[in-house]
Amino acid sequence: MQIAADIQLQRDTGFALALNLAINSKGVTALYGPSGSGKSTVLRLLAGLERGARGDQISIISDDQIWQNSRQFVPAHARGVGYVFQQAQLFPHLSVRGNLTYAVRRRRGSIPMSLTEVSHWLGISHLLDVSTPQLSGGEAQRVAIARVLLSGARCLLMDEPLGALDHAARLQILPYIDSLRRRLDIPVVYVSHALDEITYLADQVYLIDQGRITDQGSVFELASSLSINSHGGDAVAAVVEGQVTEHDPHYGLTRLSLGDQSLYVSLRSEAVGSRMRLRIPARDVSLALKAPSETSILNILTGIVSEIEPVGEQPGLLIRIKAGEHYILSRITRKSLAQLGLQPGMSVFLQIKTVALLTDPT
Amino acid sequence: MLANPDLLALWITFKLALTTSLVLIVIGTPLAWWLARTKHFSRVFIEPIVALPIVLPPTVLGFYLLLAFAPDGVVGQGWWLLTGEYLAFTFSGLVIGSIIYSLPFYVQPLQVAFENIQQAQLDAAATLGAAPLDRFWSVVVPLSRRGFVTAICLAFAHTIGEFGIVLMIGGNIPGETRVLSIALFDHVESMEYGAAHVLAMGLLVFSFVLLLLVYSINRHWQMRFAGAR
Repeated sequence: MQIAADIQLQRDTGFALALNLAINSKGVTALYGPSGSGKSTVLRLLAGLERGARGDQISIISDDQIWQNSRQFVPAHARGVGYVFQQAQLFPHLSVRGNLTYAVRRRRGSIPMSLTEVSHWLGISHLLDVSTPQLSGGEAQRVAIARVLLSGARCLLMDEPLGALDHAARLQILPYIDSLRRRLDIPVVYVSHALDEITYLADQVYLIDQGRITDQGSVFELASSLSINSHGGDAVAAVVEGQVTEHDPHYGLTRLSLGDQSLYVSLRSEAVGSRMRLRIPARDVSLALKAPSETSILNILTGIVSEIEPVGEQPGLLIRIKAGEHYILSRITRKSLAQLGLQPGMSVFLQIKTVALLTDPT
Repeated sequence: MLANPDLLALWITFKLALTTSLVLIVIGTPLAWWLARTKHFSRVFIEPIVALPIVLPPTVLGFYLLLAFAPDGVVGQGWWLLTGEYLAFTFSGLVIGSIIYSLPFYVQPLQVAFENIQQAQLDAAATLGAAPLDRFWSVVVPLSRRGFVTAICLAFAHTIGEFGIVLMIGGNIPGETRVLSIALFDHVESMEYGAAHVLAMGLLVFSFVLLLLVYSINRHWQMRFAGAR
């Protein structure tokens, strides 16, 4: 399922939306922006939970079917989309199993997994006969995800699904949502104002502010610039995605391929071929014009300087380097910049001191 | 037909309360739902109209209904054209009067129950593929069970207990409009205190048992859903 939306609306309160979205048929499209930017309203419009008012110009087309325009409106229950809310919204009069069978009875198409399989995967098998008000926030949200999977949705809309959870529960659920996009062949639209969720999950990102799209692109392209805006100083980091190519138990290392280049991280248990996202802090990346030799640093990549940006009031500079489809940030001093004579377009070698998995604590 | 006039009155009363309750379920439920969900301006007028019978003396309502039900009255004439029957001093007229009189007792508890249902629960059901009517049966009804029990029992009990309206529009026709409260009044009028006691005590016990049932059912469900919201 592909969705194209063109939304123009204006409220007396000053709230306005003016944006154009294209949701890919695969992968996670994230709507990222501050609270009140209108991203949740966009999601509710996509779901058909909101219709807009007279005078709004809303056009939503899914594949060849018109979901909404000035004459037509397909209600939520007929759109075949699944929705995960910030609060799990389980039905309190039904048990966990009752909530799941509610979805199965009304399924819209083939279900990728059976009720038993989904429950097992999400670790809720032992909760099936529990009444839903007794569940913890994290358990309830896992049941909600199981329920939406069993409804046979052809598109998954997630509205800050981790927003109401504590840190521990968030870390517990994030990997499930991450593996959703690998298990399912359907598009996911993910709304959040938490940068770490976006960098962990998203493929495509729309930046939304005050009802408008301020930037859009691949998560790797945007993560580096977003990181600068939200963190400033020391925490600035780039996000890359590598594929496990080799385990080396002798040295305790795992090799990941990053395009045609390689990165080493400490030994992992993930199977060869699985993809994982890594964080590379800008302060741990140094630059050289010639291939460094006889160095203790294991991870050396090549790339092309794309941008040079000052960082606030600090004496340092941030250099954005493009390495294949990925972007890496390096923090250097003005003096180094002058000595190396760096210019956009130049080839450089990057020496990377630390690479952390996104799931690792910062 | 029953020989004993009091048993006959009991039967008429029961038939009246049952018919009224059933009709109220059919027309009062959508009305309560509309009042609970609408943002339409007309709600400001509809709500007090529904609530009027609570504050109005039954005789006032009965008086205007009697005028309307008269063969040359608006409603009476329309009913006659429609069915070929009269409304004043008939069982049908009594049912219509009871519906209006008991409407707030059915609508208000249900409206409160409906207002307590979060829109997000209905949104969740919709995005799981449930159409509007399906959502009503599968989410709204089970979540407002307590409201339904209270509403139905209040409407039923209230119809059984009404007196003023019946007196005005029903009269006292055995087998047609003579209900328990009228029969009780007749007994007292003719100093038959023994027979009056039977009816009065019967109504008292019945009402108590009914309310006991409502409260214990609601308490039971409340315990089961403790912390549901």
